[in-house]
Amino acid sequence: MRGFTVLLQKEFREAWRSWKFLWIPLVFALLGMTDPLTNYYMMDILNAVGNLPEGFEMLMPELMPADLLYASIGQFQTIGLLVFMATFVGAVSKERASGMATLLYVRPISFGAYFMSKFVVMSTIGFVSILAGFAASVYYTVILFGTFEIGPLVASFITYFSWLLFVIAVTLMMSATFKTVVATTCAFAVIFIGQILDTLVGAFWTISPWKLPLYGVQLIRGTMEMPDYWWSLSLTLVITIICVSLGILTMKKNASTTKI
Amino acid sequence: MMEELAKVPWAVIAPLIVVQIILMIVALVDLRKIHATNGPKILWVFLIIFTNIVGTIAYFIVGRKQ
Repeated sequence: MRGFTVLLQKEFREAWRSWKFLWIPLVFALLGMTDPLTNYYMMDILNAVGNLPEGFEMLMPELMPADLLYASIGQFQTIGLLVFMATFVGAVSKERASGMATLLYVRPISFGAYFMSKFVVMSTIGFVSILAGFAASVYYTVILFGTFEIGPLVASFITYFSWLLFVIAVTLMMSATFKTVVATTCAFAVIFIGQILDTLVGAFWTISPWKLPLYGVQLIRGTMEMPDYWWSLSLTLVITIICVSLGILTMKKNASTTKI
Repeated sequence: MMEELAKVPWAVIAPLIVVQIILMIVALVDLRKIHATNGPKILWVFLIIFTNIVGTIAYFIVGRKQ
């Protein structure tokens, strides 16, 4: 791991200068706020814009705090991940295309260290982002609906973070393997089409990385089958490690395709 | 007018507005400092100010030129 700390500092400085540490967490915080607020003010919103007929009555479901957290996680899963992956999918491939990578690849750095420094910075930004998102969602849920138990909430957060590590590993691996356009397509396909497939036909299996966010919420509800949970978590971590290793290999292999 | 303003539950709404404004200011400060953007700068100013969150996200993802 030659020069790992230097590369890490470089990546951190770059992320800091392009405001990534600030705006991605803020976006996640906004996403986290939306669902508790809209659900709480649903009646007012419908009255204000709904154009409802006279005497219209609607029975609102009794929402538990876990339901609102699940709704917020649903926001992170679509818009949040879209923003996150779109920001980082060019991490390796764009540097190759712009010729920035040439300046680095001629030096005696290890590709493992370079890839890992990117991975660590992305995970840090991801951690801060979902921390902001969870904090915003939980803050509003506690004010407007009801409280959480702290233990399951932390467990749920860690579960979601493991899922995010998987997303980051897939994104970086695609970025190291392909050009930016292809990498974007492939990474989005794996994450989003994977989610859709898992909702459509996911009833046939219980162990899959795409189920982890849901399992995190089920931990709070207390309806989780623990063996399924542990198997999914371990499978996710194993796939993450495989993706990282593949990413390092393909990054080394594609080093010659960098623009000079 | 003032009565209606007082009726708004500010404790609930304020954080939402504050976060949106911070996001907008960050984007505008970055836009002020950056050398060149994809597309005309004035377009991004309008997008950031008038389409609160979508414009800001779009600016940070596709607007900044490395």
